[in-house]
Amino acid sequence: MKKMPKRYVGKNIFKVDAQDKVTGKAQYSDDIYFDDMLYLKIKRATYPHAYLRRIDISKAQKIPGVVKIITAADIPEVKNFGLIIKDQPVLIGIGRKMRYMGDALAIVIAESKEIASKAVKLIEVEVEKLEVISDPLRAMEKDAPLIHQDSNILATHYLEKGDVKKGFTQADVIVENEYKTSFLDQVPLQIEAGIGVFDPETEIIKLWAATQWLHDTQADVAQSLGLPKEKIRIIQPVIGGAFGKKEDISVHIHLALAAIATKRPVKFSYTREESMIAQSKRHPFIIQMKTGVTKKGYLTACQVEVIGDTGAYASSGLAVVHKGMYHCTGPYNVDNVKGVAHTVYTNNTYCGAMRGFGATQMAFAYESQMDILSHKLEIDPVQFRLQNAYNHGSSTPNGQILTHSVGVKETIKEAADMTGWKEGR
Amino acid sequence: MSKLTIGFIINGQKKIIETTPFTRLLDLIRDDLHLTGTKEGCGKGECGACTVIMNGELVASCLILALQADGAVITTIEGIGSGGHLDPIQKAFVETGAVQCGFCTPGMILAAKKLLEENPYPTEEEIKRGISGNLCRCTGYQKIFDAIKLAANRLSTRDGGRGEKDA
Repeated sequence: MKKMPKRYVGKNIFKVDAQDKVTGKAQYSDDIYFDDMLYLKIKRATYPHAYLRRIDISKAQKIPGVVKIITAADIPEVKNFGLIIKDQPVLIGIGRKMRYMGDALAIVIAESKEIASKAVKLIEVEVEKLEVISDPLRAMEKDAPLIHQDSNILATHYLEKGDVKKGFTQADVIVENEYKTSFLDQVPLQIEAGIGVFDPETEIIKLWAATQWLHDTQADVAQSLGLPKEKIRIIQPVIGGAFGKKEDISVHIHLALAAIATKRPVKFSYTREESMIAQSKRHPFIIQMKTGVTKKGYLTACQVEVIGDTGAYASSGLAVVHKGMYHCTGPYNVDNVKGVAHTVYTNNTYCGAMRGFGATQMAFAYESQMDILSHKLEIDPVQFRLQNAYNHGSSTPNGQILTHSVGVKETIKEAADMTGWKEGR
Repeated sequence: MSKLTIGFIINGQKKIIETTPFTRLLDLIRDDLHLTGTKEGCGKGECGACTVIMNGELVASCLILALQADGAVITTIEGIGSGGHLDPIQKAFVETGAVQCGFCTPGMILAAKKLLEENPYPTEEEIKRGISGNLCRCTGYQKIFDAIKLAANRLSTRDGGRGEKDA
């Protein structure tokens, strides 16, 4: 094998854009300004689960400096968007449902941020309230109102490896517990922001806005607006952190519509509160986990039921909850595994990607089980983990054979050494 | 909308500018002066991304009205370093890998600047306290502590100070 040139490996390389970032020159989307630029604000849902019966923009429209207000009635041809399932409406129309507090009811475009914010407050809305479902267990009940057209259970995934029944008969100790994790916001320091510019000559919409999936965002904006992809140009400025939160569409489609409608550059920056309410979160999981172990401390079986609250819209929820289940044994060898995972709609803020993508929620459950089991068996928890940890050649709950580097044992040993585990804390 | 005229010195330059009674200093700096190195992360004085130095004090520019800056002396990130040369703190941030997404970096550097002016030989605990008003979501802070230690070391060496003191 030819030797790799040692230009980078084993050396500290300065980040290419660090100089721009320490001087404040790096341009994030909110740092871009155009002459004649307009500002956009969104009138959002007034209730987490309700039919929109009336929307009155007349007072808001009269404010000097308000250039345009767009409601669903103005854009009948615009389609839903979404990462996996196109279930998110761009604007909620009369007779349609708002499903969480982040749903958009109207796009307000004005000469300044202040005017746009003032106009948003003057939009009058009448709604017909429905039962608000904030608990996924309630959402799964037969008599619960449907949040979308079909079942509130968006997807159910199954997992089976070996014979879990046999595995539990081999166990000397069985522990079963329920674990619950909470919503988390990714909180990238940069809030969602962008600028849209429409060129009437080429009919190309240029969007300067952060995204983690440049081409997916382009495709989703295009299908929603019914335009060919080449008419949507996404220009990626410097991103001020994302951690999964910028996988989903945020400002993009609203900016495109505003730019087309006004033929002027439009800027849209969320407030932090808006980002908290309207943009994705980490899924809260309810995890029922049963784990079997022999007297000598070897895991024999793991059975798990996962309920993941994906909120009002699917986002990447199907994949996150599904993947979370696949991590049910953590980095430990278990021959017999059985699992079921439900991804459930509620009226909470929708949940999507966040660092770990379902794996971290599950870690809370399986590592807690490991501690409880080691305590019951009176085995040192580090030793208990080491004797069950994956090796080269181990097979995961979904049957993947680990043929590349498997560093968990070294990691556990190193962590124990560094924390002075043996000497006691 | 009533307009008011204010004057102040920002990064060594005198400015006279029209503003409104409800314009935040942050908006004045960004939207009117286009000094966009000052960032908005929360708008509530919690995150420190909008940090500037005003009359020698670290302030969250999202909590200051533009009118309060009348007559003030202000330093933003654009006023750190000179003539295309990085300040030792900026240089240390680049060299230690203390910069990732970079959104907190301008505020962090200003907080570090203020800290090292007051306390040229900070311990790690003092560094932590010095930047406690500034949130970072990427680095886990360790590299930022390293950067400030490195800058402190270099600055004290340059000034004939204790130099290699282990902070």
